[in-house]
Amino acid sequence: MAKIERSQKLFLKALKEKFQGQDVESETAEFYKFNGVRQSPRKMEFMKASRAVEMDRGISMYDPERCHLGGIPMGQRQLMTYEVSGTGVFVEGDDLHFVNNSAMQQMWDDIRRTVIVGMDLAHQTLQKRLGKEVTPETINEYLHILNHAMPGAAVVQEHMVETHPGLVDDCYVKVFTGDQELADDIEPQFVLDIEKLFPAKQAEELKAEVGKSMYQAIHIPSTVSRTCDGGTTSRWSAMQIGMSFIAAYRMCAGEAAVADLSYAAKHAGVVNMGSILPARRARGPNEPGGIKFGLFADIVQANRKYPSDPARASLEVVGAGTMLFDQIWLGSYMSGGVGFTQYATAAYTDNILDEFTYYGMDYAKDKYKVDWKNPSANDKVKPTQEIVNDLATEVTLNAMEQYEMFPTMMEDHFGGSQRAGVIAAASGLTTSIATGNSNAGLNAWYLSMLLHKDGWSRLGFFGYDLQDQCGSANSLSMVSDRGLMGELRGPNYPNYAMNVGHQGEYAAIVGSAHFGRGDAFCYSPLVKVCFADPSLRFDFAEPRREFAKGAIREFMPAGERSLIIPAR
Amino acid sequence: MAYKPQYGPGTSIVAENRRKQMNPGQKLEKVRSVTDEDIVLILGHRAPGSAYPTAHPPLTEQQEPDCPMRKIVKPTEGARAGDRVRYIQFADSMFNAPSQPYQRTYTEMYRFRGIDPGTLSGRQIVECRERDLEKYAKELIETEMFDPALVGIRGATVHGHSLRLAEDGMMFDMLQRNILGEDGIVKYVKNQIGEPLDRAVAVGKPMDEKWLKAHTTIFHSLVGTPYRDDTEYIEYVQRIHSLRTKYGFMPKEE
Repeated sequence: MAKIERSQKLFLKALKEKFQGQDVESETAEFYKFNGVRQSPRKMEFMKASRAVEMDRGISMYDPERCHLGGIPMGQRQLMTYEVSGTGVFVEGDDLHFVNNSAMQQMWDDIRRTVIVGMDLAHQTLQKRLGKEVTPETINEYLHILNHAMPGAAVVQEHMVETHPGLVDDCYVKVFTGDQELADDIEPQFVLDIEKLFPAKQAEELKAEVGKSMYQAIHIPSTVSRTCDGGTTSRWSAMQIGMSFIAAYRMCAGEAAVADLSYAAKHAGVVNMGSILPARRARGPNEPGGIKFGLFADIVQANRKYPSDPARASLEVVGAGTMLFDQIWLGSYMSGGVGFTQYATAAYTDNILDEFTYYGMDYAKDKYKVDWKNPSANDKVKPTQEIVNDLATEVTLNAMEQYEMFPTMMEDHFGGSQRAGVIAAASGLTTSIATGNSNAGLNAWYLSMLLHKDGWSRLGFFGYDLQDQCGSANSLSMVSDRGLMGELRGPNYPNYAMNVGHQGEYAAIVGSAHFGRGDAFCYSPLVKVCFADPSLRFDFAEPRREFAKGAIREFMPAGERSLIIPAR
Repeated sequence: MAYKPQYGPGTSIVAENRRKQMNPGQKLEKVRSVTDEDIVLILGHRAPGSAYPTAHPPLTEQQEPDCPMRKIVKPTEGARAGDRVRYIQFADSMFNAPSQPYQRTYTEMYRFRGIDPGTLSGRQIVECRERDLEKYAKELIETEMFDPALVGIRGATVHGHSLRLAEDGMMFDMLQRNILGEDGIVKYVKNQIGEPLDRAVAVGKPMDEKWLKAHTTIFHSLVGTPYRDDTEYIEYVQRIHSLRTKYGFMPKEE
């Protein structure tokens, strides 16, 4: 390791905005003079709203000046704003809780309500078993019917109830294939055209992987998956697929071949976003705990939009991943309360992780000649233990020194778990991008944790004692029950199942190995194509920008209900 | 050959201080005096002079099972008396406070018996029988492991370890349990859980910067000893990590 010079400090703008009129390198500050929670416009808004709710319902509610610590409210220090990294948008911390942020809700809605269903099995059934002709024209007709049926409309029976299109306007189906000739024959409204959506090199790779098969990218209504759960998605879609085939191909509704179509749509041909979880986690498919890190890195599309900046692409996965896995999965599904947001947002606010990661990029280029701005498998460094140790150590030491040199940044990330996650993430991303090996990145994460713990004699909360101090031993092993390649690990991987501040970063470390190589995808080419869809409400190429829009209340989500409730 | 603890690697003063705190063979320097009654007030678990509440009868009055472990392990005073298990919790500033969370835990494990420490980033708690706790707390507060300005005794709402210091050099505490008086002496006006005390408890003057830098157990490139400079320490951590990684593969000797 050897420190390199890097004059650019990406976090400085945020620190100067957050701590206006103060020297961001000063070791002292003023406290106890900020008027408590009243210094925050958002907390004031909450108090006012609460008064109105109380008057309306007659039950007490938000009362921070009485209920917090017996009369000592938050805000004895400065309550900070946050810049959503990479966006230049400053927001209140409260606006990054998913309850207060419609973009965050929509991101998860858009994943949970999605399944991919192959068409080959159904087409074979139609052609070989029933002797029906399948042509681009019949596929177009089927897709027209399916986009009528999928939101909740009838296609076969008389006297059926149906859903209001205005309530389910986010529901639709598109198809994609690696066969460009076939794709060109499908109506453009129904096609995810790989050639048009991806940079040429990525498109070529994806088309080769998808081949001549055709897949349906299905997004059921947000309202449905919210009212039910992720396990509903494949069931809802399979029912509508089956009915649409019956209508489009003039089948008998009760003939045995329908069972083949149903089986294909529900089981044999379906790709869920998340696998079912064991009973102790008690969640069905398409819930966050079952999303493999490699698959999640494919859902995020930043490497498609920024193919020459693997660091940026990785940081977008961090943002999306910490939001989903920390704030929603661990923070709400598994734990409850509001605390996890404070951990998670550290990784995607104030450009701090960004700065540490780009330092790693500069170091990898300076010492190992990794041309990270031109991602390629050709210049990757061999992931020896010595090199992994070197990359992780230098990135970790630099990050710790930055916190030390800028006390306001230490104050920004006031919790050890925040700092530990961010420092280890930068180490892991750097190593993954430099080596093109996700497990090497994970290994770097754990050395970072050990160095951090010994340098400052502290790490994160109790949970870090388990996960991060035994991680070295499982990060490279592939022995069953002891290890697994990073792409196939997930939030329910044994040691990962309980700890905030890790899973989103792990997903990014997995993704960054591929972004650094210039790969088009990490785990599933189908998922990568599916979420490239510009019709999705949430733009998966820019998760952090979307979160910022949600925070400043400029994001328009799906799941509309005002059509069926009294006007306010 | 009998195992001889090394108490950690490193050539820096920080490493040396860590070893000194951990090594029970080295006497910790007494820096200040705090009376037994004042310790009880800060802890806030019982009123000074009151009897120790008990969780079970004294061991001598219990029918102890015929257990070989009980014959080997001698109970602490508090365990023998049947005291409740109570706690003291510290928040240590990263600006050169003399002890730090893991360091506290390691030190306590070497020096004290019958304890259950917990280590986090912003606080470190140690739980044990109440009369043992008061004895241990006195040592933790009166010696070089404590600084009145940079160490907080805080049961809840510990926020402050990573914040800038107040203009008077005190670590932030939203409950302001301890305040710096005009006489330069730090006084606890609330117990560790934040309940106001009937009288202030003095814990002495803050140590000066030079003393803190010479006694701290945290690396810090701005106000103390840079971690990067202790190459032996870093190489040792790398070695531990490399060996753990290697043995994750369960290698077999040929």
